[in-house]
Amino acid sequence: MFKNILVPIDGSPLSRRAVDCAVGLAKQQRARVTGLWVGPAWEPNLYAYGDSAPPGFVSRKQHAARVKSAGARHLRAVAKAAAAAGVRCKCTCVEGAFPYLEIINAARRHSCDLIVMASHSRRGISRLLLGSQTSKVLALADIPVLVCR
Amino acid sequence: MFKRILVPTDGSAPSRRAIKRAVQFAREQKARVHGFYVGPPWQLPVYSEYVPPEVISPKAHAAAVKKTAARYLGAVKKAARAAGVRCSVRYVLGAHPYDEIVKEARRRRCDLIAIASHGRRGISRLLLGSETSKVLAHSGIPVLVCR
Repeated sequence: MFKNILVPIDGSPLSRRAVDCAVGLAKQQRARVTGLWVGPAWEPNLYAYGDSAPPGFVSRKQHAARVKSAGARHLRAVAKAAAAAGVRCKCTCVEGAFPYLEIINAARRHSCDLIVMASHSRRGISRLLLGSQTSKVLALADIPVLVCR
Repeated sequence: MFKRILVPTDGSAPSRRAIKRAVQFAREQKARVHGFYVGPPWQLPVYSEYVPPEVISPKAHAAAVKKTAARYLGAVKKAARAAGVRCSVRYVLGAHPYDEIVKEARRRRCDLIAIASHGRRGISRLLLGSETSKVLAHSGIPVLVCR
């Protein structure tokens, strides 16, 4: 029924549970798993345009490299789980200020037919609240979303 | 992976689509489905001086809900039978459908709730249905939100 399952992660324990859920499901459905990690967007520093760069200034290139390495670290968990279950897996990491938009875009770009994500993650304070990104994905996605607890 | 899938329905078109998807999913998972409908509770009429002729007695209300439930849950049964999926159905009366749904999931030891993104009251594609978002908030098990 599902061919390509998108798993957006942020590296939190709950999102690891979502990864397990997605990989288990993909194994059973003989589906592929697409891991996604969304890093923060690069923000220009107002003070960096004078003569000298302020200490701690990160250029766009450096930022991209950092996002890439952080993404690779987080996505390794997906690749590992998929390999252990014998599920085909592709991992991508993107930069974006609005993770939910990146998730929706990635689902479209990779023609995924299911999104498996945690109910909340890093910013979730209460069990009774849905995560902000999750609820936005739920509102905007045009494919089914499996919300893991 | 999932053994018992709870399929709450309100008979609306999105929820009929969710039933279809849930049953198909259950067939692949070799799971069973449990159709569930929450009817509105009988309400005490607030007239004191006289009883208007169209007032519905609790008995008549229960009969009407039973009939509606049979129709809505019949769709679940029919879809399950066509797909060869084991199926049970139940309906209750309750003012807060999400509460009944979460409780039923616990009572029946379901491990997944397959629900439409919105039902009768969903007007906009950009909004999640009120009961669906409450189920998402209160459920202790994964929820599959169908479009």
